[in-house]
Amino acid sequence: MFRRKDLNEPPTPVGGISTFCAKPFFSVTFFRVRSFIIKKPARGTRLSRVNESEERLLVEAAQKDPGRFAELYEQNFHCVYAYIARRVRNRTETQDLTAHVFQQALANLEKFKWRGAPFSSWLYRIAANAIADHARKRSREVAEQPNIASQSVAETDFEAVERRARIFREVKQLPEDQRKVIILRFAEEQSIREIADQLGRSEGAIKQLQFRGLETLRARLSGKQIAAE
Amino acid sequence: MAERSINDQLDDAVTELIAQRDPDLANADPMVAMLAEVAQELCLLPSESFKAQLSEQLMRRNEMTSPVQKLENLNVKSVSIRMCFSDASAAIDFYREAFGAKELMRLVEPGGKIGHAEIQIGDAIISLSDEYPDYGSLSPQSIGGSPVKLHLDVEDVDAFAQRAVAAGATITRPIQDQFYGDRLGQLTDPFGYTWMVSTHIKDVPLDELQKGVDAFAEEEAKKAEQSKKKGRREGFHSVTPYLTVQKAAELVDFVKTAFDAVESFRTTGSAGGMHCEVKIGDSMVMIGGGTGIPEWPTAIHLYVPDVDATYARAVAAGATSLLEPSDQPYGERSAAVQDPTGNRWYIATTFVPLQQIAKDLHTVTVYFHPVGAAKMIEFLTNAFDAEELMRSDSDDGFIYHAKVRIGDSVIEMGEPHLDSKPMPTAIYLYVEDVDATYEQALRAGASSVVPPADQPYGDRNAWVKDPFDNIWYIAAAIEN
Repeated sequence: MFRRKDLNEPPTPVGGISTFCAKPFFSVTFFRVRSFIIKKPARGTRLSRVNESEERLLVEAAQKDPGRFAELYEQNFHCVYAYIARRVRNRTETQDLTAHVFQQALANLEKFKWRGAPFSSWLYRIAANAIADHARKRSREVAEQPNIASQSVAETDFEAVERRARIFREVKQLPEDQRKVIILRFAEEQSIREIADQLGRSEGAIKQLQFRGLETLRARLSGKQIAAE
Repeated sequence: MAERSINDQLDDAVTELIAQRDPDLANADPMVAMLAEVAQELCLLPSESFKAQLSEQLMRRNEMTSPVQKLENLNVKSVSIRMCFSDASAAIDFYREAFGAKELMRLVEPGGKIGHAEIQIGDAIISLSDEYPDYGSLSPQSIGGSPVKLHLDVEDVDAFAQRAVAAGATITRPIQDQFYGDRLGQLTDPFGYTWMVSTHIKDVPLDELQKGVDAFAEEEAKKAEQSKKKGRREGFHSVTPYLTVQKAAELVDFVKTAFDAVESFRTTGSAGGMHCEVKIGDSMVMIGGGTGIPEWPTAIHLYVPDVDATYARAVAAGATSLLEPSDQPYGERSAAVQDPTGNRWYIATTFVPLQQIAKDLHTVTVYFHPVGAAKMIEFLTNAFDAEELMRSDSDDGFIYHAKVRIGDSVIEMGEPHLDSKPMPTAIYLYVEDVDATYEQALRAGASSVVPPADQPYGDRNAWVKDPFDNIWYIAAAIEN
């Protein structure tokens, strides 16, 4: 399914989509320095929590009654968003492309055929195409780098995608104070001062909560629990 | 650097990461570096509101599509567009030019008649043909328009419309931002089909849409109330030229042939001559006169989709050329002719949308050639509450071109020079209060011809003559 070459290459989270990134080389250097253990799961390997038969039932239900698509959306939102965010690295574009993927998925749901691969791999394929189309359009507009290589689904580091999706989901499980700060800081992109004003606390306290929030997330991701709040 | 707390160090890194910049972690605490890694992945954390909105949007789309899915049981596979034209070949050329259509195929009879052709516009394939009356295929031109509209969703509605207008389309509804989140306008093509064109700007939630509809209904009711108050007959603007010539019937034929005028009413006028009303584009024009009735030929500024074509038709219909079509520096391509009964027609096509040249400029705009235009503007201001819109004049006050607005209409003027000379004109002017305006006009220097009176044809009107020998029929429809 994937070529031998892929195994020997480090993950390239920015792929070739450097036109999207204000800082194209950051991720590469950052991740190389920190060097994850690189294990590429085969295409379609499941990493999320729903088991196969459950998911299959969900998909078939949604194919009969599109109202049930909401469940598939909830199940897959963070993975799709994370997949796109890793490569697009811009909030507006990530949101537009995420919306596009789910709209396409909903419109073409009846064409989806269960072949053993998880539903998310179908969504990733839609996303990969959307990103490639978007990149082509962008390169025409910007008139630079005519050959913007886009990663195919097969080349994607799913472990990294799933990890990021998991971080997104874990935010909801944080103790309330930490959660508020993390959401305002990372989702709303507010400054420490703005958050302090809004929550009626000192800037020092907010910074402390930010630190603790990130610490909690890190611990949960590595499977360890630290005393929360 | 070293004495900064780990909270501060981490926040420095987070600030850089959120801005998509590379944090400097060379001297950072190892714990800070580790947490920065988590923070790096947290960047672009989706906001709950985005996730919820997208969910709502997807479900709304579902509701809209579900009736279609129910219909699938009836085995309807698709709906497609078929159009009929008086000249299908010209239509294909036009759509290629105006909308970027691609011709996919055409089947032609030995005589040249197109039996079936297919073009692609955007993602739609349209089938079209020439007219086949025996098979119930008639074009909008044969049946007086089409009630079905086509809608084009385009990337840049303004640029799109500009190109379409250049190819011969007419803007029949100005392009404006709409409450439902589209920037939208309407074009009518030379074959009688109407096209809505729009660019989606933003999504509007359902409840706001309903508010928008309510506001729209309120606005419409207000407009209806106002036009009732104005007492104007339907289809009329404030200013309507009354072209009075001896050979009135000949003039009516001319405007029909040359300008696609549509006759809506014909009777015998109060002076025993003919009275006829025609519509040219969005404007009404009155035509009247007869043997022994004084003539009031008029100069008209006429906006058409294709100045060259209209000019050619006018000349073929017997008009004398005053100016061949040529591009003007003020955003128009224009030509001028004098019709066989003595009216002058300044024909123009704009390169830019009409509403950008002047708000309320209609298809037909009256053009005066008064000696002492400044005085005339003063008179119009005093008599009819005209509002001066622009004036281009020389140092000693010679006015080359000026525009004033009366009611919802613009009138234009330029002092006679080169081959133009004063052309006293007759104007049918709808006002709110005939008697008051009549008095006001007399105070401003007009002389009375016929004092206000109710007319059997449903208007109350008065006739005055201004100091420049123009006749003004000051009118209001009598309320039932």
